[in-house]
Amino acid sequence: MTNNTIATHQIHATPPGDLAIWFFIFAELLAFGVFFVAYAFARAHNVALFNESQQHLNITSGAVNTLVLITSSYFMVRAVAAIKQGLSRECARWIAAAIGFGGIFLIIKLFEFHAKFSAGISLSTNTFYMFYLSLTIFHFMHVILGMVILAAVMLKARGGGYSAENHTGVETGASYWHMVDLLWIILFPLVYVIH
Amino acid sequence: MDIAHKPHFIRPCTIIWLLLMALTATTYAIGEAGVGGVAVMFIVLGSAAFKVQMVASYFMGLRRTRWLWRGIVLGWLVLVTGLITIAYLTTVK
Repeated sequence: MTNNTIATHQIHATPPGDLAIWFFIFAELLAFGVFFVAYAFARAHNVALFNESQQHLNITSGAVNTLVLITSSYFMVRAVAAIKQGLSRECARWIAAAIGFGGIFLIIKLFEFHAKFSAGISLSTNTFYMFYLSLTIFHFMHVILGMVILAAVMLKARGGGYSAENHTGVETGASYWHMVDLLWIILFPLVYVIH
Repeated sequence: MDIAHKPHFIRPCTIIWLLLMALTATTYAIGEAGVGGVAVMFIVLGSAAFKVQMVASYFMGLRRTRWLWRGIVLGWLVLVTGLITIAYLTTVK
């Protein structure tokens, strides 16, 4: 067994990337967790309203967006794999693909928001739409922030700023992006499907 | 590049990615069918919880870190999905 093989199978003391991003990720998980639980208990107090309002959501766009984010997240796995082999250009291309899929997510979401706002739906329409719009817009902002982070990492990777030995920045950006994906994986069934 | 030098996590992550896509398609089919009830809630929420755990373990790489880090995410997941389940069950007559 080579030293490299041993290194890949060892248990690391800290998660991949900068440790600071993990404290940020845990804070985000906490904030969204409170939001998810608040939604569930608000629904428990008005099941009929939530079930009726939920029927007007576009499950197809929610599901497609889930597939898009999961795939985008997988592209970041490939970006990390590429830089671990010292392939900066390939790493940058995978990150560009991840950003592109993030863009697709935003476009689909904008169409969804446009349809709702055109129908006169707003935060004050009812409790369900207050939660639906707040949660999805809050998540939407995180997707934008994630794309900005990934763009900065991509530019540095393209310029040869990372290597097989030094790629903490790529892992940091990837960790944040996976969190954005992870949150949507809960949000989609909770808001669009379960009734 | 010799394929032997490719990071070991690509293959399992590719399998996980395909599994996540399949589970999402299943959730979509359930949503489109418009079915509800306790059993459906358990399947859909359980599927989501499993997917989150797979993303955390494989995509985020937490399975190769100390238990503390995995425990924080797993604890969050159990707490959040547990409370969502309790909230749902309070509405079942």
